[in-house]
Amino acid sequence: MILADRTWQRLRRIPPSYLVFAALLLTLWVLRPHMMNPNILGIFIRQIVPLGILVLGQLLVMRVRSIDLSGGGVILLINYYISSGLFPGASMMTFIAMAIATGLIIGTFNGIMIAKRRVSAVIVTLAVSIVLVGFVQYLSSGKPPGDVPAMFAALYNTKLLGVPTPVLLWIALTLLMSLFLARTVFGRAVASVGENLTAAHFSGVAVERTVIVAHILAGLMAALAALVQTASIAVGSVRVGLDLPILAVAATILGGVVFGRGEGGVWGPFFGVLSFALLFILMTTLGVDEPGKLIIQGFIILLAAIFYGVRSAKP
Amino acid sequence: MPPSSPDHPAHSAKPNYLKWLLGQSSRQGLWSLPLIIALAIALGLSVTTQQFTSTGNLFNLITQAMPLIITAIGQMFVIVIGGLDLSVGSVISLSTAILALGGPAYILIPAVFLLAALIGAVNGIVVTRLNVHPIIATLSMQYIVLGVTRILRPVSGGTVPDIVITSVSGTLLGIPLPVFWGIAVLLLSWKLLHGARFGLHLFAIGGGIASGMEKVAHNFGVAERRNILLAYVTCSCFAALAGVFLAGRIVSGDPNVGLLFELDAITAVAIGGTQLSGGVGSLHGTVIGALVMALLANGMNLTNMSPFIQTTIKGAILLLVVGLQSRKKMGL
Repeated sequence: MILADRTWQRLRRIPPSYLVFAALLLTLWVLRPHMMNPNILGIFIRQIVPLGILVLGQLLVMRVRSIDLSGGGVILLINYYISSGLFPGASMMTFIAMAIATGLIIGTFNGIMIAKRRVSAVIVTLAVSIVLVGFVQYLSSGKPPGDVPAMFAALYNTKLLGVPTPVLLWIALTLLMSLFLARTVFGRAVASVGENLTAAHFSGVAVERTVIVAHILAGLMAALAALVQTASIAVGSVRVGLDLPILAVAATILGGVVFGRGEGGVWGPFFGVLSFALLFILMTTLGVDEPGKLIIQGFIILLAAIFYGVRSAKP
Repeated sequence: MPPSSPDHPAHSAKPNYLKWLLGQSSRQGLWSLPLIIALAIALGLSVTTQQFTSTGNLFNLITQAMPLIITAIGQMFVIVIGGLDLSVGSVISLSTAILALGGPAYILIPAVFLLAALIGAVNGIVVTRLNVHPIIATLSMQYIVLGVTRILRPVSGGTVPDIVITSVSGTLLGIPLPVFWGIAVLLLSWKLLHGARFGLHLFAIGGGIASGMEKVAHNFGVAERRNILLAYVTCSCFAALAGVFLAGRIVSGDPNVGLLFELDAITAVAIGGTQLSGGVGSLHGTVIGALVMALLANGMNLTNMSPFIQTTIKGAILLLVVGLQSRKKMGL
C-alpha cells in the first residue's frame, strides 16, 4: 500500500508535457510514420526555437510568482534594429551586443518596477510591450522594414553534427539554465521565493534581488529569442513575435511550472515547447485547418492545466 | 528598527502626501489621476481643434468608446476578485458571428447571451473547482472560442438583425441611442456592484486574496466559489453585450473584431485604478480608464497624428498610473 502510494506520488510529479509529448509522438508514428525522420523533425523543431528560448526566461519569472509579457515588444524592437537599415555597416557582433543590451535594460526595468515598486507584473510587462510595439510601429509607420543582413540567415541554416545550430543553441541554453537552477545559490533562492515569499525573506533570502535578477535573465532570453526569430524569418516585420509571450506562458504551464511552483524543472517546459512543435507537425500533416488548430491547442492547454490543478489541490 | 518584510516595505511607513492626495488608501483605487489625464486630453483637444467640442464628435466619441466601456466594466468584476479574463475578445467576435448567422432576432440575441453565460460558467468552474490559474483557464478558452468563431464565420460578412442595427444607429428624442446604451450599462453595473450583495461579496473575496488570506471571505459566510463563478459569467455577458453593440455598428459578423480586445479592456481597467491583486477598484475609475483610451484615439483622428504614437502614449499612461500606486505585496 505504501509502495503504491509512493509510485502514485512519483507519477503525479511527472509534468503534463512529458505525457502530451509521448502521446503526440505515438500518434504521429501511427498515423504518419514517414514524418518520423530526423531531418524533417529538425526543420520543424528549428522553427520553434525562439519560443523555446523565451520559455527559459518565462519559467524563471513564473517560479518567483511573476510573469513576463514584454517578450513580444523586445522581439519586435530588436527585429526592427536589425532589419531597418538604421545602422548601416554595423557588424553582426554589434547587432548581437545591441540586442543583449536591450534585453538587459528592459529586464532590469521590469524587475525594478515589480520588485521595488511592487507594481502588478502583468500590467508592467504588458505596458512595456505596448510602448515598444507602438514605438516600432511609429518609427516604421506601420510598414515592414527592410531585409535582415544575410549573415543571420547563413548562420541560421548551418548544422553541427547533423543538428540545426539554432536547436543546439536552445539545448545548450536549457542545459545551462538547468545547471544554474540546480547548482547555484540563486537557484535555491528562486525555489524558496516561489514557495513562500515571507518565509524566504525571514530566512535571509534577498527576495527583491532574486526577482530582479530573474527578470533581467528573462529579458536576456527574450533578446536571444529575438535574434533567432529575426534570423529565421530573414526580413523585418511589424507583427513578428507578438503572440509568443502568451504561448510561452502556456508551454511553461504545460511543462509543470506554475506561479510559484517549479516541479517541472527546466526540462518540463522544454518538452512543453516540443509538444507544441509536434502538435503543429501533426495537425499540418493531417490537414487540420486553422480554427481546428486553435480549438485543439486550447483543449490541450486546458486539460494539462486541469490535470495539474486537480492533483496539486490543497486538501 | 523593525525588519522590513516583503509584505511591509519600510518606505510605506513614511507619510506620502502625494499618495494621500491621490486617494491611494481608498478601496476605489487611484482614479483621480486618470480623471485629470482625461480632462487634460479633452481640454487640449477642445483648444487645439474646433471639431472636438461639436455635438457630432462627442456623440461619435461615445459610440467609439462604448464597446470598450462595456467590456472593461465586465472585466473589472473579474479583476476585483483577483482574477483575469483573457477570453472576452473571442466572446465579442463570437457574438457578432452568431448575430450574423441569419434568423429572427428573438432567437439570436438570447442565444448570444446564453452562450456567453455558458463560457463564463466554464471559466468559473475551471478556476474555482479544478484549481486552474485564471490566466491559463481563460487563455485556453480564448483559443477554443476563437476557433469556433472562425468555423462559424471564416471571414467577415453576413447581416445582423435590423433591430440590432437600429439600436446602435438610431436616435430617440434627437439623442443617438448609444447614449442610452451607456446609461443602461452604467445603471446595470452600478446595481450589481453597489446595489446588491454580489458586489460587496466580490470586494470581500478580492480583499481577502489580496491580503494573502484566501479563505477569509469564505470564513465570514460569503459563498466564495459561487460568487467567483458569477463574476466570470457577468464578465462574459458584458463582453457579449459589447459584441452585440459592435455587430450593430459594423452591420456584419467579423471573426477578428474582438482580437486583442481583452488587452485593451485590462489596460482600461488598470488605468482606472483597479488593482490586479484584487479587492481594490471602482466602476467610475473603469469608465474613466476607457474614456482616456477613447479620447486618445479620437484626438489622434482629429489632429492627424500618427495612429502608432497613440499606442506608445497609451502604454506610457498605463506605466505612469500603475507606477504611482505601489502595493504592499509583490506579484501578478
